[in-house]
Amino acid sequence: MKFIKILALIPLLVFSHAEDMYLIKGGITFLPDGSFAKKDILVDEGLIILVEDNIGDVGAENIIDANGKYVTPGLIVFSSLGLLELSSLPETNDTSSNIYNAGFDPSKAYNPFSQAVRLNRAKGVSSTVHVPQASGYFSGLLTYTKINEGYKQKKQGPLGLVTSFGQSYDDSRAANLLFMEDLFNYVRTNKDDNYADMTQFMLGTANDYKFTSRDFKALLKVLNGEIPLVVKVSRATDILNVLKFAESQQIDLILWGAAEAHMVADEIAKADVPVVLDPLDNVPRTFDSLNSTYENAIRLDQAGVKMAFYYSQGAGSHNAYLATQSAGNSVAMGLDYATAMRSITSNLAEIFGLVGVGSLAPGYDADLVVWDDDPLELMTNVENLLVDGMDQDLSNRYEELTERYMKEKELPNSYRSRE
Amino acid sequence: MIKKLLLPFFTVFLLGCSDQTVSIFQNEAEGSFTNFEENLHGTYASTYKPLAPENIVIRNATVFDGNGNKFQNFDVHFSDGKIQAIGLRLVADGAQEIDGTGKFVTPGIIDNHSHMGVYPAPSVRTSSDGNEATNPVTSEVWAEHSVWTQDPQYKLALAGGITTFHVLPGSANLFGGRGVTLKNVSANTVPEMKFPDAPHSLKMACGENPKRVYSSRGPSTRMGNVAGYRNAWIGAENYKEQLERDPNHRDIRNETLAGVLDGEILVHNHCYRADEMATMINIGEEFGYKISTFHHGVEAYKIADLLADEGICAALWADWWGFKHEAYDMTIANIAIVDQARDGTGCAIVHSDDESGIQRLNQEAAKALAAGRRAGFEISEGRAMTWLTKNPAKSLGILEQTGTLDIGKDADVVIWSGNPFSIYTKAEQVYIDGALAFDKATNFMPHTDFDLGVKEWEDK
Repeated sequence: MKFIKILALIPLLVFSHAEDMYLIKGGITFLPDGSFAKKDILVDEGLIILVEDNIGDVGAENIIDANGKYVTPGLIVFSSLGLLELSSLPETNDTSSNIYNAGFDPSKAYNPFSQAVRLNRAKGVSSTVHVPQASGYFSGLLTYTKINEGYKQKKQGPLGLVTSFGQSYDDSRAANLLFMEDLFNYVRTNKDDNYADMTQFMLGTANDYKFTSRDFKALLKVLNGEIPLVVKVSRATDILNVLKFAESQQIDLILWGAAEAHMVADEIAKADVPVVLDPLDNVPRTFDSLNSTYENAIRLDQAGVKMAFYYSQGAGSHNAYLATQSAGNSVAMGLDYATAMRSITSNLAEIFGLVGVGSLAPGYDADLVVWDDDPLELMTNVENLLVDGMDQDLSNRYEELTERYMKEKELPNSYRSRE
Repeated sequence: MIKKLLLPFFTVFLLGCSDQTVSIFQNEAEGSFTNFEENLHGTYASTYKPLAPENIVIRNATVFDGNGNKFQNFDVHFSDGKIQAIGLRLVADGAQEIDGTGKFVTPGIIDNHSHMGVYPAPSVRTSSDGNEATNPVTSEVWAEHSVWTQDPQYKLALAGGITTFHVLPGSANLFGGRGVTLKNVSANTVPEMKFPDAPHSLKMACGENPKRVYSSRGPSTRMGNVAGYRNAWIGAENYKEQLERDPNHRDIRNETLAGVLDGEILVHNHCYRADEMATMINIGEEFGYKISTFHHGVEAYKIADLLADEGICAALWADWWGFKHEAYDMTIANIAIVDQARDGTGCAIVHSDDESGIQRLNQEAAKALAAGRRAGFEISEGRAMTWLTKNPAKSLGILEQTGTLDIGKDADVVIWSGNPFSIYTKAEQVYIDGALAFDKATNFMPHTDFDLGVKEWEDK
């Protein structure tokens, strides 16, 4: 069997350039079945070609010795990486829009040279689902990008339409639910005219309820089943309402945040709806999330709900790589390791319909991390990050600052190295 | 008129209390002008009473003593609320034995920057009591007068090994008011939570926050901030002179500032940028006071030597950054560089400023330790444990009572399921003054009144 695979490689070897080939040798590798095993991984032209016990000399120019080290898929984060530099400075923050809401797609604002992108690469992140934060009733469209060096990134999307449901300063959540129903019915009824004249259509009085034709078209994608509705929601009863709404509208649904999801875990599982959450969210920050608990992820897993984890504490998106800390803590709380690791890699791909990423298997994009120890541990370092089969520069501003202030004290600051 | 009526009240109360109250101001100078400080402390003094202390010996554990040491197969004995001994094969007749094999024991974790109680959960306008953002100088307000004793966040911190925390006013103002050090115990009144004999503190804030909040009325610049501090200190000097002429004069804004000038109240200074911290040190020199601790200090590593020379602690995050301009120059090695400055004489502290982070300060220390080693420092786990225990105790002026496992200190002790620098480790038991406050195995922990009726699902 293995012999046949190697044979099948031969035509490929003939046509590929050895400098594009990577052989990652002997790493303790996280496999799609959830186990770790010592494997060799052959990468060529951006893809994983083979994951085998022992791959001999196939002429790969780049060999990474991963003996005694851990190899996992590159982390996929749920963040605003590259869309903002300093969140409190609006001029450096492209996550939001007042012009559009449902139709807002921030992906063109992505800056691969953001210092936050560099840091997250150095910490094992290979790609992000971009979370928009438009100010209207809908926050915009989810998209996906690799975060490799340079100007060119592989992107996918739109992946979903983001909104939130629950406590509100200006109206009852019951009214918001009615509004959603009316709006969706309106979009469905009027889809044939393509919303041609809808440049400033107001439903209700507040700016939040302002829609353009672009926004309506985005909503139509949800109604047509092209993309799911992603709802940020906390309270258990709200989750039930949203599940019911999605069923009645016959649309796909993803729950986000979902602090009280554990209380209605069986209903979520029955509806086959996935949840994006941070297992560390145990503070009852609002009256909608009084039942926040460390056990949210555990109970959802026991009910059979598919989960993706992201890090929502502290510095948020800038430290999106700390999804490993969220996942590690979930293991400490009792979640099995494979589920935790999948929740920061392949589960994001499955939940958001991403093609060809998130797993170490032949045919997948070669996005992978070599770690010097257990990837979920706090003191583990990243040794290599491959994105689309290219070994990435792991330099970052935090280590450049460290270097500048530790190693060259004899020089005045501004004469110290810039590298 | 009101003032005249109040004064006898304070005096009478104090006389009644003074016997049972030790002065918090242990360094109080002879003939201090601010005699009202001691009086006010009497009125608002701690009434904390520990739960019934146990007589316990933990056997054969790995022990971080908080002084920088790590001991294998050690025993820890505490009774009557105090550490009795730590060592090999202790004799502890009559003590309850706990098998510590495979477990780790540390002093109780101390967070010297918390807003629990003044920004409680749930976060709503009606209990958002951390910033008296009505004037850039509000040294007259005391955080303890905002603290909500029913905040459901305390027990979450307790499960993370937090036995003591310092509640500060927010950073909207140049002078935000007095902070208060609390034991992490359940109580219906704030004095019952107050750490006995802990010095009062004064929150000051540099940089973006005050100049943003007061941009229309001033200060609106960093130089405006500095003028604001200096004017206030001059006012405090004038107040002290006035007090010489009229010892009964009351001015609660200046009483706090004069308490700093007399060395009785510790300055805790929110400050991110290195150049601003250096300016704040200059202001301290101009008016003759010392800063206890800079908080947040994302750029502390740039002046690590200066901080070590001045004997100023820096309370820092492991890795927060990027949420504002003055938090841009982050390095995860910040804590380690501050710690290792001047041959390891620096005073580094891991703080949270956050209701989530406070639950895992040990993990934050682990990340900072890893970055320090990656930067080339040889730092032991024992040393990193001082960032969570001894150093915050020193910063708060409570090192004589807690922060290490030295004999005779308060038995604030955490038993961990494994190495506290591992992500898989949990606090299993937490003792405060030798009394069990948290037990993971039996789900024993305090529940505030607010918790009642919540989490009905827990029993289902």
